[in-house]
Order: sequence, then C-alpha cells, then structure tokens
Amino acid sequence: MFRGPKKNVTNTNEQQNKKEPDKVPIPPSQTEFLSKLKETIHSPADLVVKYISETVTITFLDFLIDGKTLNEQILPTLEKVINTSPKVIKESLLIAEVDLVAELNQGILEMLIGAVLIHVEGHSELVIAKISSYQSRGLSAPENESQVIGSQVGFNENIATNISLIRRYITNPNLCNEKFTVGKDTRTSLSVLYIDGIAAEEHVNTVRQRISDLDILDLLDSAVLSELIDDNSISMFPQFLLTERPDRFCDGLLSGKVGIVVNGSSMAILCPYSFIEFFQSREDQNLRWPIATFIRLLRFSAILISIFFTPIYVAALTFHYEVIPQPLLVPLSESRAIVPFPPIVEALVLELIIELLREAGARLPTKVGQTIGIVGGIVLGTAAVQAGITSNILIIIIALCALSSFTTPNYLMGNVIRILRFPVIILAGFWGFLGIMLAFCFIMIHLLRQSSLGAPYMAPIYPPRWKDWSDSFVRLPLPLIRRQSVNSRETHTIQNTNDSFAKEEKVIE
Amino acid sequence: MKSALQISNDQKISSSLFFFVVTAAQIGVGIHGFQRVVVKNAGNDAWISVILASLFAHIVVFIMIRTLALYPSNDLYGIHLDIFGKYFGGILNFTYVLYCTFAFYSVIRNYIEVINTWVFPNLSQSFIAAALLILVIYAFTGGLRVLVGVCFFSFMTGLWILIILFMPLEYAHYNHILPILGNDLKSIFKGAYSMTFTIVGFEIINTLYPFAKEKKKVQKYVHLALLFTLFIYLSVILVSLVYFSEAQIERTLWATLTLFTVIKLPFIERVEIIIICFWMIIILPNLCLFSWAAYRGVKRFKSINETTFIWIFSIFIFFANIPIQTRTEIDQMNNFFAKIAFYIVFIYPFLLYIMASLKSVLRKGGSKE
Amino acid sequence: MKKIKVLIVLLLSCLFIIGCANQRILERIGLVTLVGYDVAEENKVTATSVIRQINPELQSKVEVQSETESTSKGTRVKVDMKTSKKLAAGQMRVLLFGEDLAKKGIEEAIHTTMMNNEISTSIYLAVVKGSSKSLLEYPYKDVTDVGQHIYNLIDHNIKQQHTVSSTLHEVVRDNYSEVRNFALPILHKKGEFIEIDGVAFFSHGKMVGSLPAGDNFYILMMQDNFKESTLELVLDGESIDASKFQEKQLQIAVDSVKTKRSIKVVDPELNEFDLNIDFKCRLLEINSLVPINDPKLVEKMEKAVNQKIENEVSRILEYSQEINSDIYGFGEQYRAHVRGGKLTDQKWREKFREMKVNINVDVEIIRNGVFE
Repeated sequence: MFRGPKKNVTNTNEQQNKKEPDKVPIPPSQTEFLSKLKETIHSPADLVVKYISETVTITFLDFLIDGKTLNEQILPTLEKVINTSPKVIKESLLIAEVDLVAELNQGILEMLIGAVLIHVEGHSELVIAKISSYQSRGLSAPENESQVIGSQVGFNENIATNISLIRRYITNPNLCNEKFTVGKDTRTSLSVLYIDGIAAEEHVNTVRQRISDLDILDLLDSAVLSELIDDNSISMFPQFLLTERPDRFCDGLLSGKVGIVVNGSSMAILCPYSFIEFFQSREDQNLRWPIATFIRLLRFSAILISIFFTPIYVAALTFHYEVIPQPLLVPLSESRAIVPFPPIVEALVLELIIELLREAGARLPTKVGQTIGIVGGIVLGTAAVQAGITSNILIIIIALCALSSFTTPNYLMGNVIRILRFPVIILAGFWGFLGIMLAFCFIMIHLLRQSSLGAPYMAPIYPPRWKDWSDSFVRLPLPLIRRQSVNSRETHTIQNTNDSFAKEEKVIE
Repeated sequence: MKSALQISNDQKISSSLFFFVVTAAQIGVGIHGFQRVVVKNAGNDAWISVILASLFAHIVVFIMIRTLALYPSNDLYGIHLDIFGKYFGGILNFTYVLYCTFAFYSVIRNYIEVINTWVFPNLSQSFIAAALLILVIYAFTGGLRVLVGVCFFSFMTGLWILIILFMPLEYAHYNHILPILGNDLKSIFKGAYSMTFTIVGFEIINTLYPFAKEKKKVQKYVHLALLFTLFIYLSVILVSLVYFSEAQIERTLWATLTLFTVIKLPFIERVEIIIICFWMIIILPNLCLFSWAAYRGVKRFKSINETTFIWIFSIFIFFANIPIQTRTEIDQMNNFFAKIAFYIVFIYPFLLYIMASLKSVLRKGGSKE
Repeated sequence: MKKIKVLIVLLLSCLFIIGCANQRILERIGLVTLVGYDVAEENKVTATSVIRQINPELQSKVEVQSETESTSKGTRVKVDMKTSKKLAAGQMRVLLFGEDLAKKGIEEAIHTTMMNNEISTSIYLAVVKGSSKSLLEYPYKDVTDVGQHIYNLIDHNIKQQHTVSSTLHEVVRDNYSEVRNFALPILHKKGEFIEIDGVAFFSHGKMVGSLPAGDNFYILMMQDNFKESTLELVLDGESIDASKFQEKQLQIAVDSVKTKRSIKVVDPELNEFDLNIDFKCRLLEINSLVPINDPKLVEKMEKAVNQKIENEVSRILEYSQEINSDIYGFGEQYRAHVRGGKLTDQKWREKFREMKVNINVDVEIIRNGVFE
C-alpha cells in the first residue's frame, strides 16, 4: 500500500504536488517569514528560532545540526555583521557549504536535511548554512556476511560514510556518483555508483531509467528498492545482490557492475548479478585456489543436497522401495515402523519445525536465540523420535539439509534455497522421483527465463562463456581468471587487463 | 525473395550451441529400445548399421545445410514458398508442420508408456501428459533463448548416464560381436533403415539455421553433434550386444533400460527407475524443439502469437493422447512415424536441394538477361 | 501475471483431479525377499515366499507363506489374502526352484519373472535339492531371516567364485541363446545349515544333470577367466622326489592369482577345439617336509598339478557333453569364429556332443607365502 501502486492514491498525491506551487517567495518581513515557516512545517517541537539581532533571525531543527559549528562559527560571525544583506553574510561565513536561496520550500527542505536558515529582515533571500551532523553508529563488522579472512568492516546507515568507504577502496577519477532522490514522502537520497569505462553503458542507463521511473511514496531500505527495480519481481530468486561488505561492493564495481547505495540502509545493491555469483563469496579470492575451489564445489553440492535430499527420502520411501539397497532396508523400515504418518507428512512437519526454530532464533536477541536453537534442536528432535512421530534417519537428513542451506554466502539466496524445498517435497510425496524431476525441470526453465538488468541470469553457464568458467564453479589461480566479468565489463578493458597480467609476468622473469 | 526472415541480432544464437541443440534433439525416446529392431534385422552386426545410419545422416545434414546456404536468411518453410509458390509450397509447409507435430506426439506418447510400464503402472496418462505440456509451455513462452538453454542443460545434466552405461560390462561376453559382417549387407542396411526412429531430430536445423550468428560455423558443430550421438548410440548398441544374447535382445522391449536394472550402486539400486524419471529432462528439448519448429511453420500461414500457438498446440496433443492406448497401437504408430520420417528427413532433402539449386541457377540466368 | 495464474490453477487442478500415484510406503508393505517354486499336482506350482514385514512391536518379522495355484501370480494373490500387508516383489533377491520343477523345466517361471518390471535382473537363481518349501519352512536356529541368509550365502560365494554365477540376467541370456546353456548352484539343507552343494546343468530350461560342489573350481575355470578361488588337490606322492617325501599322497592347496582361459576353434570341419588354461597360482598349504625352495621340485609339482587339472577338466567336459549342456561357451566361440556357420540350436546340440577338445593346462606357481 505504501508503495502506492493503487492509482487513486498516486493521483491525489500528484494533484497535491501540483497545487503546491514550486516557488514560494520568501517574505521579507521577519514575523511573516516565521509564521509561514511554522505553517509549512507544522511548527514542530524541535524547531529552534533564535533572534540574533533585530534584523537577523536564524532557524534550524535541533539535533540535525552540528552545535559546535553553530556556536563557534556562525553565531560569532553573525554577531559581528549587523545590518547587512544575506550576500555579505554568505561571504563572511567560514563554512564550506553556504548558499543563497530565494525560495522558501527549498530552504525548508535544506533545513530538514540539517541546515541553518538565516533570515535578514527586508530581504527575500535566505542564507542556508549546511552544517548537518548525523547521529549514526560507528563502523562495525558485517554481521550477515562475516568471513574469516578479509576486511572486517561493513557499511552503516549513513550514505556519506558508505560512499567515503567506497572512495577509500577505489581511488579513481572514473568512479562516477549520480545522486537521485526517491519517494515522495521520504525523499530518500540514493547514489548510483559505477566506474566509467568498466561498467557497460547500457546497464548504467537501465538503472538510471528504472530509478527515475519509480513512482513510490516512500523508500526505507535498499532491499525494497532492489525488488522494485529488478527484472522479475514475481520470481522468488533475487536478481540483484544486497551486500553490507564494502570490499564485495567495490569488487563488483571493479568488475563492471553498477552499485546503488541508499541512505538509511546498511545494504548496498549490486547489479547485474548472475545466479552463480550468489554462491561465491569475497573470501574465495582471499584463499588459495585449490581450497577456494573445494569450498565452492562444496557449496554447489550443498544446494543440491539442501533442495533434493529430503524429497528423495520421501519419494524413495513412498513409491520407490526398490531403489533402497538391502543393507539400508532394515534400518530404514525399522526406524519408520512406529511412525503413524506417511513420509511426506513426517518430512513436512520436521521441515516446518526447523523453519520455526530458525525464525524464532532470528527474532530473539542473539543470546536467547542460541538457547532456543539448542533447546529446540535437541529436545524437540529427541522427543519427536521417542514419541514415534518421526524416524531418526529423517532427523539426520533434515538436519543435513538445513545445514547445507546455510552454506550459501548470500542471505537472500539462502532463504530461496530453503523455501524451494517445500514444493519439491510435496511433489515428491505425490509422484515420487517423477515429481522431483518435474520440480527440477521447472526450476531449470524458470532460472533460464530470468534476467538481471537484461543480462542472462544463468551466465556464464548458459549462454556458455567458457572463459568465464574459470571463476564460476571453481576458482582457478588468479592469473588464469579474467577479472570477474559475468554479464558486464566492456570488451576493450578485458584486453587491457590481460595485457597487464602479461606485463607483470615479464617483470617477474 | 519476399519470404526471407528478419531476425534481429539479439534473437540469434551462437553457432557452438548448435552442437547441444542437435545432440539434445536427436537423443530422445528412441534410445530406450532401438536395439531390438536393429538387431532383429542386422543381428550381431547391428553396430555397423548404427554407423551406416549415422553416416547417412551426415550426408543428409551436409545437403540440408547446402540447401539452406543457398538463401541468405531463410528456413525450410521460406524455401518451400520460394521454390514451389504460395499454394504447393503451402501444402509442403503444412506437411512439415504435421510431421513436427507427429514427432512431438510420438515422443510424449512413448515416454508416458515407459513411465507407465516401469515406474507408475496406475498413474494417469493425462496427468503425465499435462505435466509435461505445462513444462513445454513454460519453456516455450520464454522464447528461443530459453529453448536452447533447455537443450544445453539437458545435455550437461545427462552426461552422468554415460558413466553408468558402461557398468553392465561386468557381464559382457565380447565374442558376441564376432564374426564381424557375418550378416549380409542387405540386412545390415535394413538395420540402418530401422534406426530412423532413433536417429531423427537433426532436421531441426531446417528451421533453426537462420538463427545462427555465424552461419559458416554451423556445419562444423552439427557434424560434431552427429559424431557425438554416434558415439552414444554406438556405445549403447555395443554394450547391449556384448551384454545380451541376440535372441534376448529381440525379446526385450526397452533393452537400454533392462541393461540398467543389473546395476547396484552402494547407495542406490535399480538405477533404471531413476534414469526413467530423469529422462524427462532428456525429452524436454525434443518436445520444445519440435513444437518450436511447428510454430515457425504455422507462423507462415497465419501470424499468431507464441503463447496462443503453444496453448492450442498443447491442448491438441493432450487430447490426442487419449485414443492410442495399447502397446500394439504404440508400436504401429512408431513404425508409421519411422516410415514418414525416413522420407521426410532422409530422402526429401536431396530432392529439395536439386530443386533449390536449379532455381538459383535460373534466377542468376534471369538476372543476367 | 495472468499466464502464471492460469499455470498455477492448471497445475493445482491436475494435482487434485487426477490424484496421486499408488503409494507403496516402505513399512506398510510386505517385502517378498525370496520365492521358491515347487512342482505340485495337476500342472500347478507351489510358491513359497519369504516375506519381511515391519511391525511396530516386533521391529521386523519374517514370514514364510506358501500356496499352490496354476500361475505364479495366482499364488501371489492367494498369499496376499493371508498376510496383513500388501506384498511387493521389488526387493526380491533370490528365486529358488525345487529339484523336481527344475527337471520339468523352469523356462516359464523365468519368463514370468522377466516380464515383471518390478524385479531386477540381478537377482540370483538356484536349485534346491528336494523341495524349496521344506528348505524355507524349516525353523533354523541361527538364521533369523532365511531370505537374506540365502541371498548372502549365494552372493558371497558367487563373488568369491566358489560357485557358478547365476543372476537372472545370465540365465535368461544363456537360455535364449541358441548356442549356450546355463548352470545354477544347488542348495541343500544339511541339518541346521543350508549349504551350496554342487552345480545343476540345464539344457533348454530343464535340469539335465549335476556335479558335486568339489567340481565347482574346474567348471568356473572352464567358464571364464577368474581371479580368486581356492583349490585343494590331492597329488600322487610319486610325482614328487621320493627321496625326501615318502607318503603316497600329497595334499596341497593353491589359490588362483590370475587365470586365463581361452577357447580356440582349431578346425570347424573336424569339430575340434583347443581349451587353453593358463593358471597362475600361489601355494597356500603343503606338507612341511616338502622343500618348496627347490626349483626342480616346484616344476615337478606344477606338472603334477597340471596333469590333475587336465584330468578333472576332461572328466567334467565329458560329462557335460554326455548330458549335452554347453555352459562353457564353446558354441559361442564357434559361432564367433566360423563364418557362415549359421549355428542353429539343433545343429549345435549335435556338434557339441561330438566335439573334440584338446585341453592344455599351464600351471605356474608364482608365490608361496612368507615362510618356507
């Protein structure tokens, strides 16, 4: 609802916008100015009005500005200049960002971001001194994307901090930063970042266009933005990456992706992103290649285990008892002997329990969450087996599946992998292996149909770009890898990087 | 040449993908039990028949591509219209569309039969048909890119079966193959002829050719694909020949599947059940490509939306499944299809080539005057 | 959006209208692990099934049921009426035939089994001395699951090459082949135990003769190249240097390391074959007095073993020629190497009876343990 897809809501909103004339002249009289100001912003409690002299008045919103600068810079300066014009004030203020504004609404907007408005009696211009200060938390380690080796810093909610972090990683004049403001009610500022010459022009254009086409009321988080501007919002697969790691973000920018940083959100968006890349971690680059390769293969097999292991159990026990080898037959059937439900119900119940545990653990404070995990896992599991509701072999399988689903480095993708299991289990319970294959084919076709910013989602597997396979399922030694370039990076720069590798090698020789 | 196709660059597919498309189009339901008919004719020299059939396919492909290369960007349907005019060409196009539909139908019917015999004796045919058709519709509405993607994935995910295929060699009696050429040539050729049902599928290039990015490279990849399928067919027939005795093959309906029943892996037995279910992903490209080929033809008669076409097509196939029920009927249908396929795929391209080259010579002469 | 909705609706309607496949939940079916067929009066067969069932109280229970009917499916229906759970044959591992039935012919039973898609072609077939019913119904003291017990018994003996391999596939292959016959192991109940007691020779689906278990080694040696299997031999004491060893008989045991068997058609006209056996073995057991480090003695011993094996092989071959059962593949080899032979069933039967085989055995003792 708040995204405003309903037409009448947006219409009235547009009308309001139109009614409100863009330009309200600033009343030269002090009292008139103040009353108009208060009327526009509904005289909030944090509005501070200070009369410096008879002619000069300053207004600002408390807590939004830097009090130190105000006291040490602005107030003394204003004391000195009496009976003067806004122009003189602007010139005498020793602050980086000072502006003159002849329009009230713009001034108010600036004040809402954190500026001091200086009004001089008899002048229809305002001096705005931007001395905003953010109350933001300090930089901390990324919690959702932790890694053992590599930098331990994550984005925070402040766009300025985030962009400064990125600029510290990439010192490059070609790093472009385009600012947008989205959301009629929130006016959230966001930045589109890309490196000119590396990022494909069409991708940047698409992002620009999609953002400017947005017609929404509010935007509070980058996750919402990513769902709003990706290619297929109906699909359960995320098409853009959300990351809280500046190194991963910069890695993406350097390989030609377009990044979006949203104010107020500690997750930045990277696009276009392909399916395979969701299962790669920044850490893979930091490990030696055989280890990184092993871990990647482990992750990919974990996807398969996570989605298909429980369904295979259900299918084999419900329809295909022939495929169970003789040594397994007796333990399997004995463990199932007192279970009153068919395997599909048994599996669904257990999977639900696991999901409940996970959700409860995620909602509770960290310390309590761990306790819940242990209590739920051990107590419920053991009790369920002893009560004869589930078989102990299934418990092992379910635990294995849950474990596998947590190996996915990306939280959003990990969720997809976990939820995807449920329809597959149901299909397996109805039509055995045939149902599993139906699900498999359906997922395959679905993935093939997706795109990310118009680039194929399954690249580099399909369409096959053999050269990029060196950094997909496996990670070969760095000199053998083209700079990670799935779906992006224009061709001429690729040659450049190859040349640079060649040069390096020559130097070594 | 008003019938030429306008294909934008982003609709085109890379030539190397033709390898996967042709391989995926060729391997379908025929491979489940082709040993029976071939061995019936050619005895223990069945493998020579397989090589002969594949050789013949190579020649046909060569001729097909020569024919298509006479036109800058056109498929079989356009060539028909160009050579034979609107009406006779239209009839030929209609025949080819019917052929594609028949091929689609034959694949889906045979697969359902296998599932019903081996895995779920009581599972309703209409359910399997509906499930498969929904998959086809979903892939088809994604466009050619998705269809080719399905072929690619079907190839890649199906490779593991090749390893399993060689496990029954534990019971091999290699002297079953000897004496080489013990049967007369006529029966070997007859065996090659009976490979038709299994080997067809490569005729998809008739319609897919104009969509290639680099047309010159297509030929190489199609021939490579034929070589690869030859390798698969040859492995299957050789393994079957040494594993079964001749009379046993003649009595085994789906020799390839029976071959798999003997395999016991430490974690799983009766691999054939898994393979049959897995086969869905192998026949999916068949279905997608044949329906797509039919769509290209129908489009020549009436400009029709992809989605509308595939829905009508699927509903038609769904109801066509009902009349044919018994094993004998299916056998008859397969034989009938093989006969038609032989003329359309193996004989007709030569005729068409002659006509097309005559036409192009005439045209050149005309333009000179 | 609309399309997807239609898709979902269609899928769901399929799900509920057409319903699901027949369930066969593992613990709710009775698994038939073994079936034994016996001859009964009036063209009927008695089928004895070993059924493994899982009961909540008893954990797992093995039941032996037997019924008589004219078709094997008919017996299954009858047995079904006596058990609490639906029977399923997908986990069947062994098929037994009573001796009488085997003599009457097992072709029909094999055909029925092959037609059934539930049953794997890797199950084992065997003949029971006496009736399979009495073998299965006897309450053995140390055996809880007679079906599994017999399967393991046959399985490990075939894997160790102590008896002829008799998977359903091999039996069917040889049965339908015109130039080959098959053999099955014979099971026998001896007191509290079941043992493999020889080899039954078949010709055209009928049991035509049998040899004792002691001959297994030679039969296998003639059938194929083989890797393991132990042979106990009694050699003539005189074949070895008499000065050091005076006893009349010398008992040794050898273990095959690598054996190559080859059949060659020498002359198709004269119906003459070569059977070459290249037997590389290792000495397992010998009288401690014999000085095995003496190369001459070893050579002598090899010769003696040679002679012994040759004798045994020719005896067995003669026997199988007499009963006309070619389980060794002479016919296959003949057909493979003689062009235009057009070997029919009848023709080969005549030929096999009269063929002449030159047996060449080459024994080589290549290892003799870690202690002389």
